[in-house]
Amino acid sequence: MKLITHNMLTSKCLKGVLTGYPLAIKATNIKVNEVDFNPDFISRIIPKLDWEVLWKAADSIGHSEGLPQTIERNYDEDKEFLKKAHRVLLEVEVEEGYLTCPESGRQFPITKGIPNMLLTEAEVQ
Amino acid sequence: MDEAKKTERKRKRFAARLKISKGIICSEGSESNIVLCNVGQATGFEKQDVVKMLNILPSVKLKNFIAEKGESHCFIVFHSSENAKLFYDAYNGKERAGNVPIYMNYVKNVPNSEVVCTSNDPEGLYLLTDFISETEERAFLQLFDWIDESNLKNRQVKHFGYEFRYGSNDVDLSSPLSENIPEECNILWERLSSYGIEFRIPDQLTVNKYSPGQGIPSHVDRHSPFDDTILSLSLGSSVVMDWKHHTGKYVPLSVPARSLLVMQGDARYDWQHGIQPRTWDPVIEIRNSNTSEQVRVLTNDTVMRQMRISLTFRKTRQGKCECGYKMLCDNNKSDIIGDEVASKLEELHVHQVYEQIAGHFSSTRHKPWPKVVEFLKNTPPGSIVLDLGAGNGKNVLKRNDILQIAGERSSGLLDECRRQSRGVAGADCVRLDLLGAGLRARIADVVICVAVIHHFSNQARRLQAVSTIANLLRPGGRALVTVWAKDQTKSNYLCKDKENLDASVHSTVGGLNLPIHENRTQFKHNDLLVPWKLRNIKEKKIENESSTTLLRYYHVFEKGELDKLCDLPDLVVEKSFYEEGNWCVICKKI
Repeated sequence: MKLITHNMLTSKCLKGVLTGYPLAIKATNIKVNEVDFNPDFISRIIPKLDWEVLWKAADSIGHSEGLPQTIERNYDEDKEFLKKAHRVLLEVEVEEGYLTCPESGRQFPITKGIPNMLLTEAEVQ
Repeated sequence: MDEAKKTERKRKRFAARLKISKGIICSEGSESNIVLCNVGQATGFEKQDVVKMLNILPSVKLKNFIAEKGESHCFIVFHSSENAKLFYDAYNGKERAGNVPIYMNYVKNVPNSEVVCTSNDPEGLYLLTDFISETEERAFLQLFDWIDESNLKNRQVKHFGYEFRYGSNDVDLSSPLSENIPEECNILWERLSSYGIEFRIPDQLTVNKYSPGQGIPSHVDRHSPFDDTILSLSLGSSVVMDWKHHTGKYVPLSVPARSLLVMQGDARYDWQHGIQPRTWDPVIEIRNSNTSEQVRVLTNDTVMRQMRISLTFRKTRQGKCECGYKMLCDNNKSDIIGDEVASKLEELHVHQVYEQIAGHFSSTRHKPWPKVVEFLKNTPPGSIVLDLGAGNGKNVLKRNDILQIAGERSSGLLDECRRQSRGVAGADCVRLDLLGAGLRARIADVVICVAVIHHFSNQARRLQAVSTIANLLRPGGRALVTVWAKDQTKSNYLCKDKENLDASVHSTVGGLNLPIHENRTQFKHNDLLVPWKLRNIKEKKIENESSTTLLRYYHVFEKGELDKLCDLPDLVVEKSFYEEGNWCVICKKI
């Protein structure tokens, strides 16, 4: 699970859960896989993300070093920043661990890098 | 003397071989059972051959002959070890099957693969044996035997009165054939009346010619085109017909040559019958069970089939079927699957199947679908694309300027998907279900949902799935949704030479009965099970032999049905098209 994906995940579907966001991460195995750096992509995707959630997620798994807590106005011109963002968004991957719903405490396991968001039909609202 | 030594050497060698390859322990001392080491069902050796051998040993009585399917050894059970010894001394190494001497060993244990069938015979099924004489049989064979007629996959067939249409499994009452049922058949009707059976004189005849090895899938003759009596006259060879009821009852019935099988009532309307495609049949014995009821026993014994010709006589029906047997009646179309059943059905016939076939399935799907590529072509950099029901990730594009989240329910397929998308900068995988996706609302610029929604088994669930898609799209975002079309006439799916017999019905969860589709034929139902012949992958190659057949549930879509489904308050269908057997829509979130 990449942190960019974590930014999109929610447990809102759970019965009785209002926002289910953000999910807390507990990682037991983290890997860093280098992939193509495309500054244009990073610049364009950032406005679509909840940066605060991203920063906290990165921080919670020990990968927030050098990453600003807030976005600067001209962030898209700051190559160093984009590189750091790229690394945190796309290269840091939680291989094993679990996500926890902030409201219900329901856990979603992450195995072989894939978060399991399946719910039983009884759990769905 | 040399001959005896040779036989002894061979016998020992066979004993060792049987022990190693089959786990059969041969005895050195005498027993009441003998294994014939080098002849069996697979070599064409039959009980009849043993009976012949016993003709010159009048004091020896055969108790049982066991020839297991596919084996080139077989067992003879005698009443005593003395009997066995007489047989052994007379024939071991001396009797020949073809040119090869038969070698024997004593064995303590013999396999027992007898199957006891305790179900009662179907109500309304009458087997009238020796219904015609041998002379009459010869006359019928001359009348109907032919060289080459329309050749179905499993057998040869010819029609009289009306043509039986295999596409729809009915007849066209407005276009009778020029050839009526031959007059020679008239002798049957009077004779049948003398048995006290009520029926109307048939006006449609289908003649089937089965060579050994050919069969017919389990089926019920469709209710609405035909009346309530169906007659089947057998010529040439006996055959075992399997009768199956949706309650699980099973009755194997040996149908001899020159017999007439009468199907009425339950047998006509509520049971399915079929013939297994094989060159032999088990010998069926009627025995008394412990409670002294009669039971059928499929013995270990087999007989070889010969060429069989069957004459199926039917009376066409005017108007609707009013049989009252809901389970198999094509007049009864209530197809709403309740939610609880739907969920179980999908678990069994979608989710579990995909987990089992993931490896094989994935090896058959590599390239992104051209329509998907075209749809995603104009997706600008920085877009968020959700591929819901991504399967093995074949539609994950090798682009580094968009975010692609592949959502899939099957963990087997997801593993493949992750492997495929590794190295693609903005690609990631999530295990999820469309009924409750676990993703934030309004995040997606683009959603693709290819060949997924047809796996939901009722309208409410399909609607829920489409609502999820609408919910995930940002206003202005677009989705491509495709489903399998009921109409396959404009695709490569159909195979010309295949018939859809409308044959089997599979009894599944919650007492639900679903038709099993014949692959590569036109669909005739909206809700059905499609067989997947599972082949194992060994050393990265697909094995040729299929080991298991799994049934996948599909709801195939009528024209316009998908458009209607996507017609939600916040979704607009912008484009709708048919592509290679699929209905596709592109819709926009407003």
